Amino acid sequence: MKMVGGFLKDVVKNKVFLLMVLPGALWFLFFSYIPMFGTVIAFKEYRFSRDGFWASIVNSDWVGFDNFKFLFSTNDAYIITRNTLLYNIAFIVLGLVLSVVMAVVLSELVNKKLAKVYQTGMFLPYFLSWVIVGYFAFSFLSSQRGMLNQVFAYFGWEPVQWYSDPKFWPYILILVILWKAVGYNSVVYLASIMGIDKSLYEAAMIDGANKWQQIRSITIPMLSPIITIMTLLAVGKIFYADFGLFYQVPRDSGTLYSVTNVIDTYVYRGLKTTGEIGMSTAAGLYQSLVGFILVITSNAIVRKYNKDGALF
Amino acid sequence: MSRKRKSFSLVLTTLLATTLVVSACGSKADNGTNTAGSGGEGASNEPTAELIWYTIGVPQKDLALVNEEINKYTKEKINATVDIKMIDFGDYTQKMQVMAASGEPMDIMFTASWAFDYVQNARKGAFMEIDELLEKHGQGIKETLDPAFLEGSKVDGHNYGVPANKELPAQEVWRFNDELVKKYNLDIKSVRSMESLEPLLKTIKENEPDVTPLALVKDFMPLMPFDYVIEKLPMAVYLDTKDYKVVNLFETPELKSALDTMRKFYQAGYISPEVATTTSVEDLYKSGKWFTDRASTQPLAENLWSASYGYPVTTTPAGDAYTFNWSVMGSMQAISANSEHPEKAMEFLNLLNTDPVLRNMVDSGIEGTHYEKIGDNKMKNLPDAKNYDMPTFSLGNLLITYLNENDPDNKWELFKEFNESGIDAPLLGFNFDATKVSKEIAAVQNVKEEYWSSLMTGTVDPATYIAKANEKFKAAGLDTVIAEVQSQLDAWRAANNK
Repeated sequence: MKMVGGFLKDVVKNKVFLLMVLPGALWFLFFSYIPMFGTVIAFKEYRFSRDGFWASIVNSDWVGFDNFKFLFSTNDAYIITRNTLLYNIAFIVLGLVLSVVMAVVLSELVNKKLAKVYQTGMFLPYFLSWVIVGYFAFSFLSSQRGMLNQVFAYFGWEPVQWYSDPKFWPYILILVILWKAVGYNSVVYLASIMGIDKSLYEAAMIDGANKWQQIRSITIPMLSPIITIMTLLAVGKIFYADFGLFYQVPRDSGTLYSVTNVIDTYVYRGLKTTGEIGMSTAAGLYQSLVGFILVITSNAIVRKYNKDGALF
Repeated sequence: MSRKRKSFSLVLTTLLATTLVVSACGSKADNGTNTAGSGGEGASNEPTAELIWYTIGVPQKDLALVNEEINKYTKEKINATVDIKMIDFGDYTQKMQVMAASGEPMDIMFTASWAFDYVQNARKGAFMEIDELLEKHGQGIKETLDPAFLEGSKVDGHNYGVPANKELPAQEVWRFNDELVKKYNLDIKSVRSMESLEPLLKTIKENEPDVTPLALVKDFMPLMPFDYVIEKLPMAVYLDTKDYKVVNLFETPELKSALDTMRKFYQAGYISPEVATTTSVEDLYKSGKWFTDRASTQPLAENLWSASYGYPVTTTPAGDAYTFNWSVMGSMQAISANSEHPEKAMEFLNLLNTDPVLRNMVDSGIEGTHYEKIGDNKMKNLPDAKNYDMPTFSLGNLLITYLNENDPDNKWELFKEFNESGIDAPLLGFNFDATKVSKEIAAVQNVKEEYWSSLMTGTVDPATYIAKANEKFKAAGLDTVIAEVQSQLDAWRAANNK
């Protein structure tokens, strides 16, 4: 009784904060926690039942780990896992370096109006849908009318069949995602640079530190907590590929699958062609499980070295 | 950046879960509007059944208007109304798959061998078995349909859908942009095989740099003498097979020679270099910047094509007319397994396939608004027809639709003749049950996605890629699937004395 009373008192005391958390909590409940029950489909051979979705789930036969077999029967599981991981590592490392550099450069610009213009310009690609970005890329890479091949023709070089030659795609994809995401991420860093106590810089200037020394000894160390958090969050999603990037930008070209197929596109294609919900759920579960393990491990590592930097 | 990312699978599961909630509320709302729209007249003791009908095609502007007229008519005839919902061609399969899986309320839905796969979904339990319903409420359908349709669309001995009465066999033709044929005085009658097309392509390539000589999309596949067990998977029997041996397409000389030709065409520039990622060449048709392509024909198809492009199109056969499983199942309407009014749904389908008034209303809209009659069974489109332009073949019996202005009077006679001319393909009536090897099929499908388009369009060199693809198909379990097909096929042969 005392506990319930205490709990109620707590609720009343924090009612404003709880109210603020409510929309987010509901969102997670409806879109993340309730759908989790759907995971059982991964262990069933899903068949329709007259009485709707729940009945279909309940009435379908259990098949154990059968649905996972198709993932591992070819070397596809290896290829999609490798692609997902390597691309995401590249995005995290290059994205971090570029975003921080951009943020520092923007914060050091003397002309604040110009800084805003640059910032907005870099921010804009983030709001474009991947379908549109896919067509941007196509206008460069189309083998008949693409800008690149026309430039090549001008110089008398051989045109390149971009959409059937896998060797260029790791670079193209990394370039495209950096172009799209760096502006957005640098804003986060820029905001925390703005929050750094100005007196630190003043003191440094009095001591005779030049710009480079100020950046190295004040800006970067002050940024390190937010860098850790952002990186941790990104590592948590290292197993989730950006579907739009890997599906729309290479225009679903079969010859490029060896370098563009990631878990998300694989699941999508599997569901699209076979309609086997069980197998797609199985692939999704595999993705979530490995992702979960990665978050826990990376968090544990961070906690070991820097207790305040860890998420939990 | 990454905060917004959601895996597709997660979104899907979410969707499934929410549609459950939403659909429960949605059906109630639907009932409300339906009775408001059509209630009142026609006093009957029985409440009017409200059917929900999902069909394929671009959603039409005047659909609601026509739908209301249709409901007035059907309410009087069979005391039922329909709520027609259209889903565009490109989305139909995916959306229906999700909706059927989530138990969305529906009564009638379009299904075919090429969209919302009929056999697969019948086996998964998406459709109601209609043997009895056909007997009880579908006598009209049984009388009008060529018996080959109902026979050929049986799955494991039962019917799950009402096929549209239309052309029965499939025949591939080369279509030509006649303006270019005339301009260069080309002889298209001598064309039949792909090789025989080459001199014509060469002429066009040399003289018309802006024209794509052979207009293809990524789904293209060279014509080869096979009957495929599952469309676009490399297992087939020869069309003239005697022993019904299932072969691996990638180990046949026919595939090699066909792909060598494709590769030659591709390298000569007869095909667009983007073909492996091209999903539509509609722009070429609109601008007339194409010379030839291949398509499935039906009697008088040239007239349809010419009318729709606005310039003459001529054709010449690329192969014989065969009746395949997939051509029999080219267009069907099925009753949903969760339908609340299966009997009314069948009555409606029966009326749709036998009653010219309803059939033409569904197809062409309202007389005086969208079309006018210029004879007993002839009509002319009015300007407003563009607001109600339905895909005729998908909606039921073609042979009771009104003829267009410039159709010959014997159009439907020609259809009947064409239907009789078809040669039965060896696998007609055999439907592979993939449940035992569904894991292998899923893996094989994934391999197919990777190699198919680029190989079949000549984008990659067949000399190396045929072997590569075959190796990966085998790793995915193609041989297991073929063995399973063979054993089912042998059992089917024994049962049917083939």
